Amino acid sequence: MNSGEKKKHINVACVGNPNCGKTTLFNALTGSRLKVANWPGVTVEKVEGETAYEDTKITLIDTPGIYSLTCYTIEEKVTRSCVMDDEIDVIINIVDASSLERNLYLTLQLLELGKPIVLALNMMDIVKERGMEIDLHRLPEMLGNVPVVPVSAAKRTGLDILLHAVIHHYVEGMEEYILDYPEVIENKIAKLSVMMQAHYPTHSSVRWHAIKLLEDDEEVKKEHPIQVTNVADKSYEKEIIQCKYAYIEKVVHECLFHKNRKAAVTDKADRVLTHPVWGIPVFLLIMCFVFFLTFTVGDALKGVFEEALAIFSDGVTGFLAGIGVSGWLKSLIVDGIIAGVGGILTFIPNICILFLALAILEDSGYMARVAYVMDSVMGRVGLSGKAFLPMILGFGCTVPAIMATRSLETEHDRRKTMMVIPFMSCSARLPVYVLFSGMFFENYAVFAALSMYIIGMVIAIISALVFNRLEKGKVNDSLLIELPEYKRPNARTIRIYVWNKLRDYLSKAGTTIFIASIVIWFLLNFGVTGMVADAADSFGAVIGRILVPVLKPAGLGMWQIGVALLAGISAKEVVVSSFAVLFGVTNANSAAGMSTILENVHAVNPDFGSLNAYCLMLFCLLYVPCIATVATIKKESGSWKFTLKMLAFELLLAWSVSTLVFQLGSLLQGLF
Amino acid sequence: MTLYEADKGHSYYITGLYVEPSVTRRLQALGLNDGTVVKVLNRKKRGALIIQVRGTRLALGKHISSNIEVKIKEEGTTEDE
Repeated sequence: MNSGEKKKHINVACVGNPNCGKTTLFNALTGSRLKVANWPGVTVEKVEGETAYEDTKITLIDTPGIYSLTCYTIEEKVTRSCVMDDEIDVIINIVDASSLERNLYLTLQLLELGKPIVLALNMMDIVKERGMEIDLHRLPEMLGNVPVVPVSAAKRTGLDILLHAVIHHYVEGMEEYILDYPEVIENKIAKLSVMMQAHYPTHSSVRWHAIKLLEDDEEVKKEHPIQVTNVADKSYEKEIIQCKYAYIEKVVHECLFHKNRKAAVTDKADRVLTHPVWGIPVFLLIMCFVFFLTFTVGDALKGVFEEALAIFSDGVTGFLAGIGVSGWLKSLIVDGIIAGVGGILTFIPNICILFLALAILEDSGYMARVAYVMDSVMGRVGLSGKAFLPMILGFGCTVPAIMATRSLETEHDRRKTMMVIPFMSCSARLPVYVLFSGMFFENYAVFAALSMYIIGMVIAIISALVFNRLEKGKVNDSLLIELPEYKRPNARTIRIYVWNKLRDYLSKAGTTIFIASIVIWFLLNFGVTGMVADAADSFGAVIGRILVPVLKPAGLGMWQIGVALLAGISAKEVVVSSFAVLFGVTNANSAAGMSTILENVHAVNPDFGSLNAYCLMLFCLLYVPCIATVATIKKESGSWKFTLKMLAFELLLAWSVSTLVFQLGSLLQGLF
Repeated sequence: MTLYEADKGHSYYITGLYVEPSVTRRLQALGLNDGTVVKVLNRKKRGALIIQVRGTRLALGKHISSNIEVKIKEEGTTEDE
């Protein structure tokens, strides 16, 4: 099939089960030359990377992990349309050698496609560790002589051999491989193949389509509307699956030795981490520890950034004065841009530690356990434990968390999860907590900030519970998730993960926050009369004053807060930037900056105390998510109505909760 | 008996899947078919359980486990399948 001219540039798809080390291998092959590409026809984002072997350029496409080439989940549909695409020249099937039996099922399906396939046998080190052995001669023989290359994605061994096999196999083309089904089924496949060939003479994977027609596959039936009912009189899916697994058992029996010599570590760890009683407390403890680290270690490191920023800011001021720049431009650069953007950059240590911790939790295999541990709680609110995973991702950033809801089975569950994810406090809200708890709670700052995360999580669960009651939903108990072996997190994977997140943060500081800072500076320095000396006469003040009556019951009745909250919709960090610009501090995240802001706040409103600050934090936690999140929710839900309803709900909730806390708090303060 | 009634630490043969078709398909793709041996590794009193099947671990909710018919595997053969 691959006759004729050979391209010097080939497209290779990486396909494999979830947790088979696919992303690690992909990163090992492409390095940090990652780029995100939109696959034509599919709205789902896919990752593409470039590499080369000798004089052939290779474009690698990473696909979502799947167990089967059916089309029941979004991930499966995406991966399937990717591998079926004629652009794909070779498929690398990544197989977790330590669970060969389950992984080979997808392999057998891929082989039926008739495209060139190379098997990358990953996690061979774990196989050795457990005392198992794999017969690397017999295995390819039993799989139609596809190249089988042992690799270690984590240690980056076997990669060149793998790429060599890819190129070589592409040039040689695919050998015909046939897994023999029982005669009844084979006859039907033969008949359907003839029919397929008659209708679609140019079709490349006739056998695969014939088998899919027998399995009563919706998509294939839709794309190939040929009359097959006389042959495919019922779905033969069960029989076909059983044949495949029967064959796999034969392969495993012949190729895998010393099976079942225990994964003692995983079982021991699971005794504690998935304990029926201690599972949830242990999880909460781990999360508290993560945030505790984020605040304390992050704060310890921020001094370095503070000094750098102070030096930079002074230098720029001096330079601008030296070259005789006009006053307004100097103000824009120093009070607007440096204060707005620079202040945000000092939070880098906190952000890094948070993502480092999340990366370790994800890479170690613990996350899937959280789904099991939280299943009983989530079940009661009508969601499966699996819905908790996107929610945890929400601690990092809401946008990928919303996208991660794709792994949920029904559209209804997806929407409900999307609705509550914004309450999981994302890293952009962290600067707000650091600033205000630092200013108003001194020694208890960590606890004030920590409480935001707990309150957010509790509110997320309570609102899901209320939705469930409103729609008279039932308990959801249809959890189905694989729990991978625990493994030592891979340094390279974590580095790439943290770096990507950090890059997102930096680019946000360079774009959204940069522009927002300029806009805020303009709004605060210009009024109807032109440039104003007192911000109270500015456009910003006019806008902010409109919000004062609304925010007053929540203890937030200052026009400055109104402006900051409004600006914060562009990105939550901008709340902090706004305060910096409003009160003319270059670095909000420093002791001097904080005391200046505090002084200025008290100058405007002497009664603004810790209770008000706490309500402000609460409001920031709960009110409308940032623009990027709103856009993602619209895209993923495909409905403006849903998105707007959600925004209204969140705004109302933020106002009600902070008002309630402020009023009750004031009452209590009055009593004592 | 159903898998939901199974005890921790024991192995069972699957004798039938009676979940809705979409879930059945996914379970079959994960290798749970008639005759497959599963071992219960961990379970909550009322709720989800963790099973070992074909060398991997799966967590199953009550709804799924109570719709999988199983038969206990004889003692003495549980360690080595």
